[in-house]
Amino acid sequence: MLLGLKRRFLLHRLRDPDYRFLFEPPPPGEAVSIDCETTGLNTRKDDIVTVAAIRIRGARILASERFEAVVKPKARLNPDAIKIHRLREQDVADGRPIEEVLPDLLRFIGSRPLVGFYLEFDVAMLNRHVRRLIGIDLPNAQIEVSGAYYERKYGDAPPGTEVDLRFVSILSDLDLPVLDQHDAYSDALMTAMMHLKLADLKARAVRIPRGRDKPLAHYGGGG
Amino acid sequence: MAQHFDPRNAPFDRLSAEEIDVVGDSLDIAYYRPGETIIPLHGAPESLFIVIKGAVEERDGDDLVALRGPGDIFDSRALVQGRSSAAFSAREETLCNLLPRDVTLRLINANPRFASFFYLDIAHKLDTVSSEEEAARFTPMLNARVDEIFLHPANFIDATASIVDACALMRTHKTYALFVDGGKGPGIVTRTDLLEAALLDRLPLDSPIGPLARRPVLSVAPDDMISTALVRMTKNNKRRVAVSEKGRMIGLLEDIDLLGFLAGNSQIVGGRIDESRRIEDLARVAREIEPQIRLLRRQGVKVDLICEIVSDLNRRLLHKVYALVAPTSVREAGCFFVMGSEGRGEQTFRTDQDNGLILAGPLDHEDDLVRFRLAVFDALAKCGFPPCPGEVMVRNPVWSKTLDEYRDDFRSWLALADESGTMNIAILYDAAAVAGDAKLLRAAKQDLIDLMRGERLRLARFARAIDAFPTPIGFFNNLVTSRAEGDALDLKKGGIFPIVHGVRALALENGLLETGTTARIAKLAELGVFDAQFARELTQALHYLMTLRLDAQIAEKASTSLVKPGEFSTMERDLLRDSFQVVKRLRDMLRRHFNLAMF
Repeated sequence: MLLGLKRRFLLHRLRDPDYRFLFEPPPPGEAVSIDCETTGLNTRKDDIVTVAAIRIRGARILASERFEAVVKPKARLNPDAIKIHRLREQDVADGRPIEEVLPDLLRFIGSRPLVGFYLEFDVAMLNRHVRRLIGIDLPNAQIEVSGAYYERKYGDAPPGTEVDLRFVSILSDLDLPVLDQHDAYSDALMTAMMHLKLADLKARAVRIPRGRDKPLAHYGGGG
Repeated sequence: MAQHFDPRNAPFDRLSAEEIDVVGDSLDIAYYRPGETIIPLHGAPESLFIVIKGAVEERDGDDLVALRGPGDIFDSRALVQGRSSAAFSAREETLCNLLPRDVTLRLINANPRFASFFYLDIAHKLDTVSSEEEAARFTPMLNARVDEIFLHPANFIDATASIVDACALMRTHKTYALFVDGGKGPGIVTRTDLLEAALLDRLPLDSPIGPLARRPVLSVAPDDMISTALVRMTKNNKRRVAVSEKGRMIGLLEDIDLLGFLAGNSQIVGGRIDESRRIEDLARVAREIEPQIRLLRRQGVKVDLICEIVSDLNRRLLHKVYALVAPTSVREAGCFFVMGSEGRGEQTFRTDQDNGLILAGPLDHEDDLVRFRLAVFDALAKCGFPPCPGEVMVRNPVWSKTLDEYRDDFRSWLALADESGTMNIAILYDAAAVAGDAKLLRAAKQDLIDLMRGERLRLARFARAIDAFPTPIGFFNNLVTSRAEGDALDLKKGGIFPIVHGVRALALENGLLETGTTARIAKLAELGVFDAQFARELTQALHYLMTLRLDAQIAEKASTSLVKPGEFSTMERDLLRDSFQVVKRLRDMLRRHFNLAMF
């Protein structure tokens, strides 16, 4: 009810009727895993450098239909961020402006729920531009894999349990392959794998055992 | 491209960079929960599955036939045939790459090397692999060092010596070139130089060779690669190059030796055996046989050919030993033969003395025989053949006696029907004559064959040994290794022996006189005992297992049959699995054929 109201409100504020598809019911069982690499961590000042999105249908990751784009950033690349995503000025020089990339991305995503790790950050980065384009924020439902992981692992934990929600910790705990990190496509792919496995564990009511954590290599996160 | 797909894994390692991109762009990833069916029995999969994480069970009915782990591929057969002959399901949470069927088929059509992986029979697969190996093997040869090759010793002569002196010195040292010591630094003079000086320039034969010497001497260092020597000789159009170390000439590398090194020189070894006049000479030449194996293998010569060459050399050696030590009385009445793998011509690295003697009748002087037994044993021991632990050799009177005595033995072996009887029949049935009257051995074998003909129970008892060791096929990656052996797998027990013995039992039943397993298989196919396809697969499986064993022996420098599947590539593991499947089929066939269930 409340959601329906919100949707109608957003639909009313949607400037461009071409984007009404964002409000249509999503194809059943589908979702989109998404990840952005950025010039830095400030959602107001920093820019998107690359963005990757992969459709998930049922228990299948449609990697062959992925969306990948290099964005020409307006802000200068932050040297610290370059160290993380390894994209230098010249690497992004061939990119397209975000105004061109965004419509394609939105059509790729459609009304499917978004899946991500620390998704709030990626959505905030995108929304700055989405708002300018169509007047509203992304209306898609959001699935946070670290949240789903927390629920499966720590949902029944006694207070004071040490919580580890680092990307690489989740990956290793779920016994998933570690791919080339800090590449938007790989991160989106690993996130999609996490999502499928966590959804399966939840469906089978399997909890992730605690207290068998192994020491892990440092990894900053999927943003 | 993300690395959830490793293009270095077979068969993707045979794809071009563009084709790998096509694969990378076409892959989807599927997640399977434990117990979920991936391909149902008789299902028509829409893609090729490549395991990323987890484990997949392959079931034939209720039987678990294989477990596939990360990097493994399935079900290539179903993809080609459009119908799977087994069911595949996830054993645990499993992630797979999915390569769409149409993309896979397109690649199969476009790339024959890739396609070979999908061939339905192992024989085809193996043919492709071995030709690739051959191509890969020449390069390391050229990276060998100069001092690994036979070098002629450096011989020096003073610049004031005459043409005649030089000629004489060359003849003494059997060399084509001499280094010339003189004021202007080292020079070199060859037979051609002397010949031209004397015949064309008509120099007096006592003129000094100093002015004839060529300088500077073309040279390489002992640790140079032989490719360097080859290039230097070609560029300067020379047939020999000096080997110098710290300005000192230490040897001479001739083109013929360089080529011999690259091409193998088993023909030279064979010639040297024939030329030997004493056991001591033979012993020296015998040491050159084993290095030939390594050399031939490095050149990518197939294992059956290596066996043939090595058996030929070993038999020549034995022939020569016999000629040197056998007294006339033995030579007139006897047939000297080798047994076991040496008899089948499937021996590579030398094992024990496995030999025997059949006499047409008793000798007038028993002493001749007694002396001969010890003389053969000593001579072969000098040539590096260790004694046979089971005493299956001429030294043992059981294996050096008259044909009639052998015939009596056959009857007692069959009557006792114990393990040693079976073993004795097997090794004698594999015997091949190396010297003397081969008709004696043939008569003995024919007698053995006649004793077995139609004797179902005797044949079944004989065939039963195929079940002495289990086929190492089981769950994980389908290959069972033994923890006691450090996760290694015994190729001989698990694969080579069952093939050799199974084929031997069928050959004996059909009265074949061939000794080699390959020849027996061919003959059995001719007789319709095996169909042509199975015969080919059996031969290829045997050769593949023998190749793996040979490579393990070369690597270990020992006669081992143990290999570690963990060190193999996916392709090699796949081929090994296929080979053992062939062994399994042979065993099943023999169990039915000889009704082994009755034991």
